[in-house]
Amino acid sequence: MATVNPILDNTYDDAGERSPLILGGLDYAGVTDEVCGIWEADKPPKIWFVVLGAAISLLMVLGGCVGHLLMDGVGVWGNNNPAYWGWPIVNFVFWVGIGHAGTLISAILFLFRQNWRTSINRAAEAMTIFAVVCAGLFPGVHIGRVWVFYWLFPIPTEHLAMWPNFRSPLLWDVFAVSTYATVSILFWYMGMVPDIATFRDRCTTKIGKFVYGLLSLGWTGSARAWHRYEIAYTILAALATPLVLSVHTIVSFDFAVSQVPGWHTTIFPPYFVAGAIFSGFAMVVTLLVPVRKLYGLENLITIRHLENMNKIIMATGMMVGTAYGIEFFIAWYSGVPYESYAFYNRAFGNYWWAYWIMVSCNVMIPQVFWIKWCRTTPWFMVIICVFVNIGMWFERFVITITSLCRDFVPSSWAYFHPTWVDILMLIGSFGLFFTLFTLFCRFLPVIAMAEVKGVMPRPKDH
Amino acid sequence: MAEENKNSNTDENSKLIGLVAQFDDPDSLVQACDQARQAGYTKTDAFSPFPVHGIDPALGIKRTILPFIVLGIAVGAVFIGLGMQWYTNGGSLGEFSTDESPVFPGYRFKISGKPYFSLPANIPVTFEVIVLSSAFATFFGMWFLNKLPMLSNPLHRISRFKRATNDKFFLMIEQADEQFDRGSTEAQLNEWGAVSIDECRRDLTDNNLPSWLRLFALMGAILLLLPPVAIFRAMGMTSRAPRLHVVPDMDWQDKSKTQTLSPIMMNDRYLFADERVMRAPVDGSVARGQLDADTELYQGIKSDYVPTVSLTTPQGSVRTGLGTQDEAEAAPPVEDVSMYITEFPKEITVDEALVKRGQVRFNIYCAACHGYAANGDGLVNQRAVALAATGKAQWTSAKSLHDATVSNAEKNPLGRIFETISNGRGTMGPYGAQIPTADRWAIVAYVKALQETGIKPVVAVSDDESGEGSEANDTGESASTPEDKTQPTP
Repeated sequence: MATVNPILDNTYDDAGERSPLILGGLDYAGVTDEVCGIWEADKPPKIWFVVLGAAISLLMVLGGCVGHLLMDGVGVWGNNNPAYWGWPIVNFVFWVGIGHAGTLISAILFLFRQNWRTSINRAAEAMTIFAVVCAGLFPGVHIGRVWVFYWLFPIPTEHLAMWPNFRSPLLWDVFAVSTYATVSILFWYMGMVPDIATFRDRCTTKIGKFVYGLLSLGWTGSARAWHRYEIAYTILAALATPLVLSVHTIVSFDFAVSQVPGWHTTIFPPYFVAGAIFSGFAMVVTLLVPVRKLYGLENLITIRHLENMNKIIMATGMMVGTAYGIEFFIAWYSGVPYESYAFYNRAFGNYWWAYWIMVSCNVMIPQVFWIKWCRTTPWFMVIICVFVNIGMWFERFVITITSLCRDFVPSSWAYFHPTWVDILMLIGSFGLFFTLFTLFCRFLPVIAMAEVKGVMPRPKDH
Repeated sequence: MAEENKNSNTDENSKLIGLVAQFDDPDSLVQACDQARQAGYTKTDAFSPFPVHGIDPALGIKRTILPFIVLGIAVGAVFIGLGMQWYTNGGSLGEFSTDESPVFPGYRFKISGKPYFSLPANIPVTFEVIVLSSAFATFFGMWFLNKLPMLSNPLHRISRFKRATNDKFFLMIEQADEQFDRGSTEAQLNEWGAVSIDECRRDLTDNNLPSWLRLFALMGAILLLLPPVAIFRAMGMTSRAPRLHVVPDMDWQDKSKTQTLSPIMMNDRYLFADERVMRAPVDGSVARGQLDADTELYQGIKSDYVPTVSLTTPQGSVRTGLGTQDEAEAAPPVEDVSMYITEFPKEITVDEALVKRGQVRFNIYCAACHGYAANGDGLVNQRAVALAATGKAQWTSAKSLHDATVSNAEKNPLGRIFETISNGRGTMGPYGAQIPTADRWAIVAYVKALQETGIKPVVAVSDDESGEGSEANDTGESASTPEDKTQPTP
C-alpha cells in the first residue's frame, strides 16, 4: 500500500525528485477501482445522457445528409467549377489530422519512454480511431457510387477490367488511411485486452461476462504472455511511428503533387504532420478535461498531463506558424508570379477573413500557453483548444478553397459557396465522433490501467 | 474448492493442474520466481496485472522469436507491394509486359508522360503494404505464440485469481513439472512468502464440446459458403436475360430519346400533334450560322436560276454510296448543267493562299481515293480495285480528275464540282458535313489548278515498283514531285 502522497500540484519540477504521475496516493487496486468505477456505476451521470442524446441527434442529421447525398449524387455539395474540392476534403483532412494525436501519444511517446502518456493514451487512441472513421466518411461518400467502393483497391475483377493507378497520390491516400485505420485499431485493441480482462474478472452480469470474456481472449496476465505482448507492443509502436508520419505526408501529397499554385510546395509534408499533431492534441485536451472532471479522474489525468499536452500544442502551433511564414517567403523568393499571387491572395484576397481566422487561432492564441496559469487551468485550456481546432479547420479551408478559386484560368475564378448539406455534414460528423466517444467512455476502459500500474512506483519503494 | 480432493492429483471429476500461490506485491513475486527456478522448477508461470520488470530472467523466459517473424513478413511485403504495382500498372521487364497476361492483365495507361513503373512513385504504397503486413504479423503472431484466444482456462475458476488482473500477483507451479510434489511444493511456496495457495484443477466432467455442435458448425459453414459460390457462379457465366440489377447506374432514365414517339400522353393523345419527341424549328427560323440563302456560295447554283425542266435539285442527288455502278448508270440523275455557276462566288478570292489551302484539304480528304495528283490512283482506290478484281468486293473506281468528263468546264462547271464535293456523286460520299464551305471552294480551286497543269501519272506505284519514275521521285530535290509540279501560278 502506497503512502498517501500529499502533493496535489505536480506541475512543479524538482531536480531532486521525479514528479509523481499519479496523485491521491492511489495503489494498484485504487487505480483499478477508479477506472472501473466509471463502468461499474449503475447509471452514468446525467450529463452523459445529455451528450449522447445530442450526439445521436447530430448523427441522425449526418445519416440523413449521407442518404440524401447517395440518392441525389454529389451535386448536393457546393463543389463546383473551379472548387471541385470543397468542404468534403477540408473535413477529411481536418478529421484525419485530429486522428494523429492518438497514435503519436501511444507510439512515439512510448518509444521515447514518456511515462506520462499512460494516463491519456487509451482515450487518445480511441479518439484517433473515431476521428479516422469521421475522416473516412467524406472520401467514402464522395466517390459517387459508394456501392462499388472496392474499385479503390486492386481487386482482380473482370467487370472493371482495370487496375488502380498506383502513381496517383489519391490512391496512396487510400492505402495510407486504410492502413492507418487498421493499425490504429489493432494497436488500440491490443493495448486494451489486459484491461478488458480486468473488466471480465470484475463483471457481475451474464452478458457482460460473455462479451468481455470473448473480447479479452482469455488473457490471464501470464508472464510469458506479457513478455511477448510487450515486444509486440514495441514493434507495433515502431511501425506506427513512421506510419503516423507517412499518413499525413501522403494526405499532403494530394495537394503537393498537383501543380496548383499554393499547393505545389515541398514544405507540405512536414507542415501537415505538425498541423495534425497540433490539432490532435488540441482535441485530446478538449475531450479529456471534461472526462476527467465528469468521472473524477483528476488523480490519474493530472494537471501535469494536461500541461505537457499544452506545451506540445504550443510547440507544434509555432511549427505551423513557421510553415505559414516559410510559404510566404518561398512564394516571394521563388519569383514565380503565380505562386506569389496565390499567397498574396490568401492573406489579402477575397478569403482574407478565413486566412486571418486561421492565423489568429493557430499562431497567436496558443501563445498564451507561455503563461503557466493558462496551461494549468482546465476550463481555460479547453477554450484555447477549441480555438485551435477552429483554426485548423480553417487552415485546410484556406489551402483548399483559396488555391482552387484562383487557379490558372482567370475566367473560371469564382467564390465558393457551401450548401446546407456541406454544413450539416460537418456538424453531423461531430455527432458521429461524439457518439462513438461517449459510448467508449461508458463501455470500455478509458484509462490504460495495466500501463498506469506499470509506471507506478512499486509499493516497497516507499 | 475441492477441499476433499486435496491429497489426490486426479479423481473422477477433476485433474490437478498445478498450485497457484498469491503474492501481494511485484517484488515478492519476482523473488519467489527466482527461488522456484533455483529449486529446479521449470514448468512455472507468473501472473500479474501489468508486466513486472525482472520477471523474465527470474522465470527463465527465453526471448520470443516474434521480431524475426515480423521481419520475415516485412521483407516479403516489400516484394508483394512492389510486385503488385508493377504487375497491375502494366510494368515490363524487357520483352515481358504484364498487360498481355491472359489472367487479369495489367492495365497500361500513360499519364502525364510518366513511366509505367518508377520506384519513387511506388514507394508510398509499398511502405503502407509493409507496415500493414508487419502489423498483422505482430498482432496475430503475438496471440498465436501466446496460444490465445483460449476462452476456457481452469485458472479462471479460482476466485482469488480474479485479482490477477487487478492488484495481486500469482505464481503457478504446474503438476506436470518433474519436481512437483503436492505437499513439498506447497511447503516451499509458503516458505517463499505466498499469501495464500490455491489448487488449479481442470474440470473433467464437461470439457468436451457437445457432439451435435461440430456437425452444426460444419453445416453452418457450408451454408455460409453457398451465397458467395452462387454469386461467383453467376459472375462467371454468360446469360441472355438481364441479371438482378441492384444498382441501376442510370441505365434507365426518365427521358425521351431522339427519333422516338413522344411518350408524354395527355388525355390519351400524344403531347404533340406530330407524335414526335423532337421538335422542328419554327418555320422561317434560322439557326445561328446556318443561313445559307446565298445559293452561289453554298450550293454552287446561280442565284438567278429558276428550275425549268428537271425538278431534281442538287440536294436530291445525294448518293448513299450503296448503289452499284449499274444502278447508277441505269438511272442517271437528270440535271441542268446550266444552273451551276462557272466562276467562283464573289465571296471567294482566288489567290495562291486559297489554292494552297485547297491542296492541304485535297490531300486530306480527296487524295485517299483520287490520288495526290488526282489521277484516280489513291491508295484506297488501288486496294479496292485489287479486291474487286478477286470478286470479294464491288467497287466503282474513283475517277481521274483529269478525265475529260471532269475537266471539261462546260460539262462540269465550277459550281458542279462544288456540288459534287458537297453532296457526292455516283458512289462518292458527300463531304459537305465535314469540310467547311470556304474549304470546299478552296478544293475546287486546287482541282482546277491540277487540271490546268494536266498531270499524268508519274508511275503506277502499286504495279511497277522498279519503274524509273519512282527512282526519279526518290532522287531528291532536283526531281520535281507531282505536288511541286502542280503548284499553280495564278
